[in-house]
Amino acid sequence: MSSAVIAAYARSPFALARKGGLARVRPDEMAAAVVRELVARSGVAAEDIEDLIVGCAFPEAEQGLNVARLIGLMADLPIGVAGATVNRFCGSSMYSIHMAAGAIAMGAGEAFIAAGIESMTRVPMGGFNPMPSPALYGKMPAAYMGMGETAENVAKRWRISREAQEEFALASHVKAAAAQKAGRLAGEIVPIALSGATVSEDGCIRHDASREGLAGLKPAFDAEGSVTAGTSSPLTDGASAVLVCSEAYAARHGLAPLARIRSVAVAGCAPDIMGMGPVAASRKALARAGIEASALDVVELNEAFASQALACIGELGLDPARVNLDGGAIALGHPLGATGARITGKAAQLLGREGGKFALATQCIGGGQGIATVLEAL
Amino acid sequence: MGAIQSVAVIGAGVMGAAIAAQIANAGIKVRLLDIVPKEGDDRNAIARRAIERLKTTQPAPLMSSRAARLITPGNTEDDFAALAECDWIVEAVIERLDIKQALYRRLAEVRKPGSVVSSNTSTIPLGELMTDMPESLRPDFVITHFFNPPRYMRLLELVSGPATSADAIARVTEFCDVALGKSVIPCRDTPGFIANRIGTYWIQTALALALEMGIEIEEADAIMGRPMGFPSTGVFGLMDLVGIDLGPHVNASLARLLPKTDAFHRMNREAPFLATMIAEGYTGKKGKGGFYRSTGRGRERVKETLSLAAAAQGRLEWRPSIRPDIAEVKDAKTDLKRLVGAKSNYGRYAWGVLGRVLAYAASLIPEIGDDIAAVDAAMRLGYTWKYGPFELIDRLGADWVASRLADLDEPVPPLLAKLGAGAFYREDGATLLRFTPDGGYRAVARAPGVLLLEDAKRGRKPVLSNKSASVWDIGDGVLCVEFHSIMNAIDGDTLALLGKTIALVQKSHKAMVIYSENLRTGPGKENFSVGANLGLAMFAANLRMWGKIEGTVKEGQKILQALREAPFPVVGAPSGRALGGGCEILLHCDAVQAHAETYMGLVEVGVGLVPGWGGCAAMLARWQGAKDAPRGPMPAVAKVFEMISTAKVATSAAEARELKFLRPGDGITMNRERVLADAKARALAMVAGYAPPEPDTLQLPGATGRVALGMAVEDFRKKGVATPHDVTVSTHLARVLTGGDTDMLDPVPAGAVKDLEREAFMALFRTRESQARIKHILDTGKPLRN
Repeated sequence: MSSAVIAAYARSPFALARKGGLARVRPDEMAAAVVRELVARSGVAAEDIEDLIVGCAFPEAEQGLNVARLIGLMADLPIGVAGATVNRFCGSSMYSIHMAAGAIAMGAGEAFIAAGIESMTRVPMGGFNPMPSPALYGKMPAAYMGMGETAENVAKRWRISREAQEEFALASHVKAAAAQKAGRLAGEIVPIALSGATVSEDGCIRHDASREGLAGLKPAFDAEGSVTAGTSSPLTDGASAVLVCSEAYAARHGLAPLARIRSVAVAGCAPDIMGMGPVAASRKALARAGIEASALDVVELNEAFASQALACIGELGLDPARVNLDGGAIALGHPLGATGARITGKAAQLLGREGGKFALATQCIGGGQGIATVLEAL
Repeated sequence: MGAIQSVAVIGAGVMGAAIAAQIANAGIKVRLLDIVPKEGDDRNAIARRAIERLKTTQPAPLMSSRAARLITPGNTEDDFAALAECDWIVEAVIERLDIKQALYRRLAEVRKPGSVVSSNTSTIPLGELMTDMPESLRPDFVITHFFNPPRYMRLLELVSGPATSADAIARVTEFCDVALGKSVIPCRDTPGFIANRIGTYWIQTALALALEMGIEIEEADAIMGRPMGFPSTGVFGLMDLVGIDLGPHVNASLARLLPKTDAFHRMNREAPFLATMIAEGYTGKKGKGGFYRSTGRGRERVKETLSLAAAAQGRLEWRPSIRPDIAEVKDAKTDLKRLVGAKSNYGRYAWGVLGRVLAYAASLIPEIGDDIAAVDAAMRLGYTWKYGPFELIDRLGADWVASRLADLDEPVPPLLAKLGAGAFYREDGATLLRFTPDGGYRAVARAPGVLLLEDAKRGRKPVLSNKSASVWDIGDGVLCVEFHSIMNAIDGDTLALLGKTIALVQKSHKAMVIYSENLRTGPGKENFSVGANLGLAMFAANLRMWGKIEGTVKEGQKILQALREAPFPVVGAPSGRALGGGCEILLHCDAVQAHAETYMGLVEVGVGLVPGWGGCAAMLARWQGAKDAPRGPMPAVAKVFEMISTAKVATSAAEARELKFLRPGDGITMNRERVLADAKARALAMVAGYAPPEPDTLQLPGATGRVALGMAVEDFRKKGVATPHDVTVSTHLARVLTGGDTDMLDPVPAGAVKDLEREAFMALFRTRESQARIKHILDTGKPLRN
């Protein structure tokens, strides 16, 4: 079996939905700009790409139809490069990486682009036509439960205090602000010049975030609860992409791969505590990699909410000092379909920067799931 | 020169920016220029900040978010040459002659020939402004004096000079009247023009005599407000509202310009405490408070009033506010003379102020103008008086007023003496006449194209009438239905009259207009109709006469449907609030010609109900038919659900169009006095080849949509935004809007949605919580959150 590597990673800036600089940008065109730049930066021969696999959580309207195929055409990929859109909600673009790695393992191609998009401005969360099954809703209302409520459930059951959540959120902003200031984010960002102005920096990070500011916010989902807008990831517009290829292909074409995909996993969990999805998925992936959590040098754990991130860190026994080194989704933003490729690409990049051996990228998924990827230094 | 199409405002202060906003409200692009700031990189920063401020100011100067985009910020250096393209340039810079004149000199260089230049000055005469100015400017220069806030105050005083061309006056009048919606009153170049001349004297007299006679502020405001038809704030409350710091500027200008013999000087007394208040930031509502202020927060909040007795001695002391209980004020409800004729201190104060103001106004004819009707209009529209001074004299009796002036040692003005025991206004058949300084009467003039219902009604009898509504013949085969119940609430009588009118028009007329008129209400206070008469419904509910209530719902649905299906055009012509059932009537009209200040909304959830007269069905049809909306069975349903479940009210006709309460083809009239004429013209234009609209058919999601909306409501409940009864009401509303148990493949006729509306309405009316909401709003005027 061929092992797969992450050979390159790029993303758009992440901007606040509606208020941010990408609000008026079509998500398909934004993703095409990122894909085009990824190909250029990586040096891969475009005609070698087997498939463009694009994750999207609400694939309709401007990110509808088979948007992956359309993005490929927009990005001027050769006509022979195929395209598939995949939906696993927040886990969509991480799963597109898994699909690429799986295909490589079975010899169904050597090079893939795994990408993700979401304009939470232009396609609302829930889509334009939410039409839940009355029968399932009657049997299991949590199947459709809002994400904020699941975060409250996790905070209650894992006893994550509001103060702890705010401390975590503040740390995320502090780390992201420092990374942005030091120019550590610029290298992964593809400036987007599609709305009349060029957006080249992340727009969600609050450089002035403070304990007092966070403490003053009202609960966002439950009047009696502890989760606020400040301890939740913001609605975000953004796109991301990684080049996944076989190790042999990378060597043959002189690419500079960032990390090897050592193992992957997905797992279901109870929908009303969907934020705990990373626990089972990460345990499976770590077991498949044959390592303990203590062996991880770098962890990218998606911060859908501070409550679930803290509970997962606790359950998995992760070292907080190794989690989300340049900040997480609370500060950077969480464009649903695009986050998985970002954190996997980011983990691969950090592994090199930090000089570590193993990295984990993992995230929770609405409806009750987790997804995880273990990376290994080359 | 043609009509005005391109405008610039120079000076981005409060007035300049708000005037630019009103021009944008009219759908016209406008440049807003101010000086280049001393600091910062953005040379347009001052104008840009002013535009941002317009978006958050209350009451809103802008009618829609689109209007803000029509204002282009600029500065008087880089953008000055661009003024060459403007047809009208409004100067609204600081009230300093040297600065204004320097600007005019520059303008004379760049402006295109024939463009109008106007000043918004309230304190500098046109004669002074034009002294030593280039000759070329004189024929094109006028003063356009807007009142604050310009969107809401309908008065515009237009002052021309001896050299001003008739063409410039005509063009600026036409634009300000039709496009900006102002009542343009031509004024002579006399100090304070009309409204501030009389209004300032009124305020100064009320203040001076209160100090002199030991009247406290709440007492003065109780006397000098509602009983006389003056703003209910009274004089001190009014000063708090407009800003205490503004008074001294106008006073100083009048003190400088008016001849020493003018009565103004006797009332413009020194009141040093006012300067102290301003210096300490007590400038009124915009500052730390004024004559009235609030201290503490929440439940600790205390309303306090300045002690005038202490202030007279130079001390600023606020004490807890009192609610004055003045018998003469209550008596005035039946007869104003029982207040102004009373021998008490209150009575002497009331007459002391009012008598002097009326005498002053009469003494100013013909100095400030010949036309008493124009003076009355200026005071009504510029100071929100319900009656102008000459109308007030007529109410009291001119001879009575004249005889009582001796008590004040005031001479009887020649105009009043000439009138004797007559009246300033008379009716001659259908014509309203005004008294003229030469002792005769002339018809009160209306601007060309203006049609007022009060004129159409004068000297005539209604075609049909009952206690809630009447029908008037407004000519050319058009009948006008007028509501006149309290707040124009709709009851069985209103519906019955609408039904009879439909039959009558079909038999012998061409078209029907639904329009009510109360031009004496203040800005934003007019009602087209506040909806169904809840008092009557509650009475029936108390007697458990459910069948009667359901009968009214059915009757309303039937009559509104008949309006829509009538074989002739029905045009709704609203101004002010059109809520609940009032909104639903408009939704069933074949066209609407709305005043720009129309506030439409389906607000039934506020009283625990859902729209029951076809409002749900009509809004679904409009949103489902929208070409710009995402497709599928849910977007229209979700949007209408959001609007109705939050009782969203459009804050202007422009916003009503965005919310689809108005259709793209419905018209908006800026000038209140032109609404009826425009509506009638629209109705007549539709007559030839008229066919009623086809019935609506809807595509609704059924149970799945109901579950989706229910989940959203549940989220709001958890957030603490929705109360338990909100959830009940929303659940019923969701069932109506999703079409009950339909499937998305089955077309749903609008009639089926109306059946669902009726079911939901009745189920909710039977709940104790909805009845509590209705009772609360009837008792207090405020919604109950239960």
